[in-house]
Amino acid sequence: MTVMVELTDVRKLYNGGSPQAAVDGVTLTLQQGEFTAVMGSSGSGKSTLLNLIAGLDRPSQGRVLVDGVDVARLSETELARFRRTRIGFIFQFFNLLNNLTVLDNILIPAQLAAVSPAVARDRATALMHELGLAEKQMLFPGRLSGGERQRVAIARALINQPLLLLADEPTGALASRAGEQVMERLTELNRRGQTILLVTHDAKLAAAYASRIITLSDGRVADDSRLKASPEVAPSDVLRLRPGEASP
Amino acid sequence: MSLRFGILGLLAEEPLHGYEVKTRFESLLGGTWEVNIGQIYSTLQRLERDGLVAPADDRGDRGKLPYHLTATGRRTLNDWLRQPEDEPQPLREEIYVKLLLAGRLANGNVERLLADQRRVYLQRLKDLSGLERRSRDEGRDDLALLVRGAVFHTEADLKWTDAWAEEIRRAPKRGGRQ
Ligand SMILES: Nc1ncnc2c1ncn2[C@@H]1O[C@H](COP(=O)(O)OP(=O)(O)O)[C@@H](O)[C@H]1O
Ligand SMILES: [Mg+2]
Repeated sequence: MTVMVELTDVRKLYNGGSPQAAVDGVTLTLQQGEFTAVMGSSGSGKSTLLNLIAGLDRPSQGRVLVDGVDVARLSETELARFRRTRIGFIFQFFNLLNNLTVLDNILIPAQLAAVSPAVARDRATALMHELGLAEKQMLFPGRLSGGERQRVAIARALINQPLLLLADEPTGALASRAGEQVMERLTELNRRGQTILLVTHDAKLAAAYASRIITLSDGRVADDSRLKASPEVAPSDVLRLRPGEASP
Repeated sequence: MSLRFGILGLLAEEPLHGYEVKTRFESLLGGTWEVNIGQIYSTLQRLERDGLVAPADDRGDRGKLPYHLTATGRRTLNDWLRQPEDEPQPLREEIYVKLLLAGRLANGNVERLLADQRRVYLQRLKDLSGLERRSRDEGRDDLALLVRGAVFHTEADLKWTDAWAEEIRRAPKRGGRQ
């Protein structure tokens, strides 16, 4: 197994923020190919943790290695390049540019990373096809449903073929069916090898789709559980309808 | 409770003999409740005694007798179907009592147990979600809804363990514990 992310005793204190660290001594390892969910109540440090891994924030203490690279030691330019090429990020509210078409939104990171236009277009076409967006490529985001917008954001995050896909509450703004569809797409990507770290406070979505659940509490890892795949569980193993009360 | 009305409900669709009642009942509930055939026969006998069901005809041997719903049976069933259920909230799981006792005996030091219990609930959510999906794939939307009920209950159990853990974190030094 290859280590994708390695955090060692990472702390993050915000300047001018609370003296309580937002991330307070986190040590954890993510393997390549894992689909991990991060849970925890609001303010427990989930977004901060993701931002530290994405290089959007620098740790106050400790070390963040992504694919062997010590993120905190990179210069701003190196960091920007690192983020463009190694990390895909999706957000709760999609963060699409409304005056660009679906296709152009998806192409932005490739242009920033100076990927050749022909290669970028091929990748975009494949991603749109895979994510059920082929018919929507010339539309503007304002014409799309929430679920479709998030799928555009996923395509945009994947256009540079990042090693790691980070998602901060990607279903938080979606109706439950659209949320499930987004999770199904992510699961499909993971099945083909994409490493995913996703923040959610929806326990059902986390448990249904991820194979590992890390729970934060006050900036610390309160629990780290690996779940067993359960394709053949018998109904009566997980659900029993009050059998004690069968007597008339 | 439910077996009695379950039988009435199935007989309201068409006359059935005991073994058919068993297989239909189990399939209705997607295998989440296995009933033994003896229970079916004894319940049918009680229902017959109460005048709610009757053998469709009285030829043939006892085990093969198809039963049908009587007019009284249909009225009783319809009354039951119209009534919302209003029992006190059942908290049957032993974990409730276990945590209360463990809390007293260990001065509130139940973090380990809570963490382990939480993992059980997370795994159960995964298992139930898989079952829900399979039910839908098999065209059993009714069963998927039943499973979804169990999902909501498990989510509530999970919230409850979190609330308990939160309570311990916010007020950690109770009793003799430092
Ligand atoms: N830019 C910031 N400046 C100061 N404090 C912050 C900043 N971002 C987050 N925090 C604080 O850090 C803690 C963790 O926040 P966050 O990582 O956003 O939690 P979560 O995503 O789990 O809700 C909170 O107490 C929050 O108020
Ligand atoms: Mg957040």
